[in-house]
Amino acid sequence: MMLARVADSLYWIGRYLERAEHFSRLADVMLNATLDRSDAAAQTAYIALSAVGDADMARAARTYEAARALVLDRDDPNSVVISLSLARENARQVRDQITTETWERLNLLYLKVTSDTASAAFESGSSAFLHDTIADLHLFKGAADATMSHGEGWRFLMLGAYLERAQLIARLLEVCFGDRRHARVTDRIALMNLLRMGCALEPYLRRYTAEIEPRHILEFLVFDEEFPRSIRFATTRIEEHLVGVSRHVATGGLAAPERLAGRLKARLQYADVDELESVGASALLATVISECAGIHNAVFDTFVAYSLEMKLPA
Amino acid sequence: MKREEAVQADKDSDPDVTVASVKTNDMPPGLPMMQAAYLPGLAFDEMYAADGEVRDHYSSVHARLTTLSPEALADRQKTLERSFLLQGITFTVYGAETTTERIIPTDLVPRIIPSGEWNQIEAGLIQRLRALNMFLDDIYGEQKILMDGVVPRELVLGAPSYRREMQHLYVPHKAYANVCGSDLIRGQDGQFAVLEDNLRVPSGVSYMLANRDAAKRTFPGTFRAANVRPVERYPDLLLATLKSMAPDWRPDPQVVVLTPGVYNSAYYEHAYLARLMGAPLVEGRDLVVHENMVYMRTTTGLRRVDVIYRRVDDDFIDPLTFRRDSGLGVAGLFNAYRAGNVVMCNAPGTGVADDKAVYAYVPDIIRYYLGEDAILPNIETFLCREPAQLSHVLANLDKLVVKAVGASGGYGMLVGPHASRKERETFAEALKADPANYIAQPTIQLSTAPCLIDGRIEPRHVDLRPFILSGEKIVVTPGALTRVALRRGSLVVNSSQGGGSKDTWILADDDSATVEETPS
Repeated sequence: MMLARVADSLYWIGRYLERAEHFSRLADVMLNATLDRSDAAAQTAYIALSAVGDADMARAARTYEAARALVLDRDDPNSVVISLSLARENARQVRDQITTETWERLNLLYLKVTSDTASAAFESGSSAFLHDTIADLHLFKGAADATMSHGEGWRFLMLGAYLERAQLIARLLEVCFGDRRHARVTDRIALMNLLRMGCALEPYLRRYTAEIEPRHILEFLVFDEEFPRSIRFATTRIEEHLVGVSRHVATGGLAAPERLAGRLKARLQYADVDELESVGASALLATVISECAGIHNAVFDTFVAYSLEMKLPA
Repeated sequence: MKREEAVQADKDSDPDVTVASVKTNDMPPGLPMMQAAYLPGLAFDEMYAADGEVRDHYSSVHARLTTLSPEALADRQKTLERSFLLQGITFTVYGAETTTERIIPTDLVPRIIPSGEWNQIEAGLIQRLRALNMFLDDIYGEQKILMDGVVPRELVLGAPSYRREMQHLYVPHKAYANVCGSDLIRGQDGQFAVLEDNLRVPSGVSYMLANRDAAKRTFPGTFRAANVRPVERYPDLLLATLKSMAPDWRPDPQVVVLTPGVYNSAYYEHAYLARLMGAPLVEGRDLVVHENMVYMRTTTGLRRVDVIYRRVDDDFIDPLTFRRDSGLGVAGLFNAYRAGNVVMCNAPGTGVADDKAVYAYVPDIIRYYLGEDAILPNIETFLCREPAQLSHVLANLDKLVVKAVGASGGYGMLVGPHASRKERETFAEALKADPANYIAQPTIQLSTAPCLIDGRIEPRHVDLRPFILSGEKIVVTPGALTRVALRRGSLVVNSSQGGGSKDTWILADDDSATVEETPS
């Protein structure tokens, strides 16, 4: 049992922090790509910016400005600084529900990215700045995992994180391998950068060796059972956490979000990469994105904004 | 003394020798780094007696301060401020472009109160709150004290803080003010007196706890040796007090903390207390009233609420009963309270007992209900509603502090000796226009305590806000918030007016190492 508003806030903390981490990584990979003398830099920037819905070639050409905006632009509702501010604002509202260890990690990070010196720090060393930001987010996750009870509140936090993650990875793959594109990304360096954006390069190499193949990347980022950023992994966790929180809700049959999550999980569980290759990746990726949105709405309707008439004591 | 010299003196000085040298040199008092800065004025100083000697109960802290260089002190101060910022013990300043987080200034030098003095304070506070609860029960009930003419009827019934809605309502244990924070000051004679009572939604207790936490890390050795009474029990005593207010027939009552929300300046405290009590922190929008029962919206449906520790002012708790434009409260809450299905702590309408005009009658109130003299005296107060007293006030505006009856937080007041002639004239007009709205008190030289100011130890004026809990019984936590007027010479300690705070050490009796709170 917890306050509906609190559950909602924890869910959003999970979402915003996942987004902040992903965007930091995109910016970092984009900037790193510009260091090498190759054609991949522009392509990498294009992938990253398309994945965040900003597919402007002219903007991709000015990689540094684009990356800087992803991180520090206060007018962009998805920028890292805005995501962290919103996560922290939500955390403040549920300050009594999260442990001091967890709160301090987030507060520290917030104070860092919103301080007057943040943009100077980014300019003097964007790589170090982004590396530290991602490391701080990992510290937050570690502190949350190690100090919070893994009960209802924790599950809402995780639910937000995995829903966001499934959607972000699906969008990234759609940009690279979707049917709408005339040419799938085949450049080796660009593909490696794609894996880096999914924080997947090292685990991928261990699984498939240094043969970087689009087919393997799809298999790994969509269907892998063990890699924490694969869509299958994320949808399995979503279903798991929804079962966990639904246990406490007295409803007749399966609660709507749980049913939706079970269906999505099964889609990923019983499909494989051959099927995906034959019909094209777009259909499945679009389904993932829209069903995640459906689960998002169902969670809100079931646990947070339910109608009072249904719940009043007789 | 220049900084370099101060460092040098600090390195060479042995604390005992330094203390001893005070006695021979007479003036100025002997902290090496203080010599230039620490010249106590007319006020009673908490650390130095009038002859320049260090008071016994300050000797260990004084000795420790003499061994620390200004740099070491500044480092500790920085660590302290950093820790407050990290914990989020801040208030937010909303600017046009950016929002910034500020901590309430905190001073690391503890203020120390010996056990003998504290015992008297504690007894005085318990006596006072007992009498004020009886007063509230009376004025919302039979009104005997008004009929006996001890307190003027129109003063009570005409006060905006008097809530007719509270008349003849059952309040468990007749405990109206469950949480009380009284402001005490120490005058030139060294005696503590009550400056005002706060019976509405007093705040600051989180600073008492946070300051203690910081002091333990700043001066661990000195703290251990000083035999300081613990304040850690405040949250569980508060929870016990709140639970004792629930109706008997509700086993394991659900207690919640009601906050106006994250934009309230005391939000940190609301979250802090909720967390330490393990009670949900709710906002008005989380609560629903249905058939005079209060529920909170949880993920699993509605759950009954029994006791609300509300940190929302009377005016805002229920738009149906009080201010209609309030979005912070819960529609129907007061009716649920009236029906006895939920308890609000503090009860609505307690503000009438800390009204600045009613204050003048508190010694009479204590005598009326308890047949005792007040243990803690009041400050002499002139009621401007009385024509004779008004003319006295007008004639002595340059010596008095004049306060608006309804205002708090250091607003709407005139500190005569510090005001310009023009300010006094303007204020006099306001006074004549609405005399009943003002009271006046002599300007008290609040006692001073050593504070770290720009790397030096200097005296600053302080007050003392202890916290008293009353439910089934009355309990005073052995600790307090010491508020500091950080501007040199200023007598205004309110945080809204540039005040800060510091930890307050209540020393245990020598023979009792561990001390339990003693209920009345």
